[in-house]
Amino acid sequence: MALKQSDSVQKSRAVPRLIAVGIIVMCLIALERSHVLSSSVILILDYIGIYSICVIGINLVNGYLGVFSLAHAGYMAVGAYASAIASKYYFTEEWMFPASILIGGLAALIFGIIVAIPSMKVKGDYLAIITLGFTLILQSIFQNMSFVGASQGMNDIPKFTNIYWIFGCLLLSIYVVTTLINSKFGRSINAIREDQTAAMLVSVNVKRIKITVFAISAFLIGISGALISHLLAYTSPAAYGFSNIVEGLIMVYLGGVGSITGAIFGSAAWQLIIQLFKDFGTWRWVIGGSMLCIIMVILPKGVFGYKEIGGVVRDLLQKVRDYRVKRKESDNV
Amino acid sequence: MYENDLISLQNACMYFGGVKAIDDLSFNVKRGSIMGIIGPNGAGKTTIFNVITGVYTPTSGNIRFLDRSLNKALPHEITGDGISRTFQNIRLFESETVLNNLKIASFAHTNYGLFATFLRTPRFRKEEARIDRECREILALLNLSDYAESIAGSLAYGVQRRIEIARALCCKPQVILLDEPAAGMNPAEIDDLNQLILRIREALNLTIIVIEHQMRLVMGICDEILVVNFGKKLAQGKPEEVKSNEQVLEAYLGKAKG
Repeated sequence: MALKQSDSVQKSRAVPRLIAVGIIVMCLIALERSHVLSSSVILILDYIGIYSICVIGINLVNGYLGVFSLAHAGYMAVGAYASAIASKYYFTEEWMFPASILIGGLAALIFGIIVAIPSMKVKGDYLAIITLGFTLILQSIFQNMSFVGASQGMNDIPKFTNIYWIFGCLLLSIYVVTTLINSKFGRSINAIREDQTAAMLVSVNVKRIKITVFAISAFLIGISGALISHLLAYTSPAAYGFSNIVEGLIMVYLGGVGSITGAIFGSAAWQLIIQLFKDFGTWRWVIGGSMLCIIMVILPKGVFGYKEIGGVVRDLLQKVRDYRVKRKESDNV
Repeated sequence: MYENDLISLQNACMYFGGVKAIDDLSFNVKRGSIMGIIGPNGAGKTTIFNVITGVYTPTSGNIRFLDRSLNKALPHEITGDGISRTFQNIRLFESETVLNNLKIASFAHTNYGLFATFLRTPRFRKEEARIDRECREILALLNLSDYAESIAGSLAYGVQRRIEIARALCCKPQVILLDEPAAGMNPAEIDDLNQLILRIREALNLTIIVIEHQMRLVMGICDEILVVNFGKKLAQGKPEEVKSNEQVLEAYLGKAKG
């Protein structure tokens, strides 16, 4: 009996989840190949994929770890610029694109570790202010450095990004985060979110966990930055300011904190709103903003707060089953 | 410090500004013994636990565990090295399952890194299976197996207290510090708790320090009692000796008018 229980624990849910996502991606590839989808639809899918990676990264710190950080725009800028420089001057061939992506991710990772340092001592609103400062400093640096085009930004970045790279990276980030969450690191992350002092006093190395989480989070956001700069072929400091911070937060809190499903749902929903209501111009911010307000009131943790799609479906099936049993009982009476 | 002493405080002081929470306190805890710490509210009892476990760095003095100084050590190092504790007001990870609460406490001796985590290596599987088995064994030892999959925050107060002890045991401690484990319990429950404490000491070869107001527990199981007041040692000795100590009676009941 005891053995059986430990076996069931061993069976991770990561594999079936990965298969499900794989099937979806296959369908998308089939659609793209058959030219059923117009290029504008594919562009929307590109955006959804890229922002999903970014939001999964943000979610690691803001959701799972429960630290309110605003550094994501800064990481994204670092990833975009580092990879752009890499592929413009060093990795100019298309087959070298993974190297550029990796450089973008690693450059952001270094900044993630730097931001993790104040998070040891500072909490809550104060840390939010520090991370906001971090993002603004980075934006100003990029605005003033002439060799990356200063406020003009960088142009003529090779257009290496395509839907395969995007969804390949998305699959990889989903894998990284699910395996991390279903391990001693994931358990410790939850413990730190709930009670940092108690976690420390049951032997959790809080410093190490925090640095690890910030680093992985920044790495993923950096990758999304690298993908977006190679999709648009240019990158400018203006793209990584307040609007980027706000958009990131909207996608995280709309989809749901501490959930990969939520991250993908949030970015898909937000990108669709942005693209479908294009005719409304800036009015779409009103639509998106009011949607966010309504969802925050009804579901404060977002649509998929600390839940994954598998769990939601299982709960629903259980409810249906319960309802049927109840009906049967009342029929019998 | 004798060879038998596991933990020793030597002239430890802990000041918060002008407040002397612990003032020149020295005592030794023998291996395998149960030491009770009693004293009026605000006497500095919990502060003693906090300086031993590294939450506070003592203002001066020495805290030793075996042959090492704990003065500069960090809480997770101390806990991982063999001193774990429970809290006066229960601090479980409330939205986690009971089993996960225990697994979190196994952090220090779960031996795999990030690489093994991402690649799901055989080592990762083996370690996860071992942690799962060990945590379930500890739950069984404390008669908590039925609650393994329950959400910790949803359980009754008395059960949560026992889960906290179980969680502290998952750090594989040599010494366990219990902060008012019997708070809010009735005499029958305290008798059960006494049996439980004696049983885990026997089964896991533990040394125990317990802060408690309930005399039924302190007098029932402690080998030695330390009485503190205003951060200073008032008395130390066997339960019978302490019970009849005049200074102790004075601190608790006030001075008789002579």
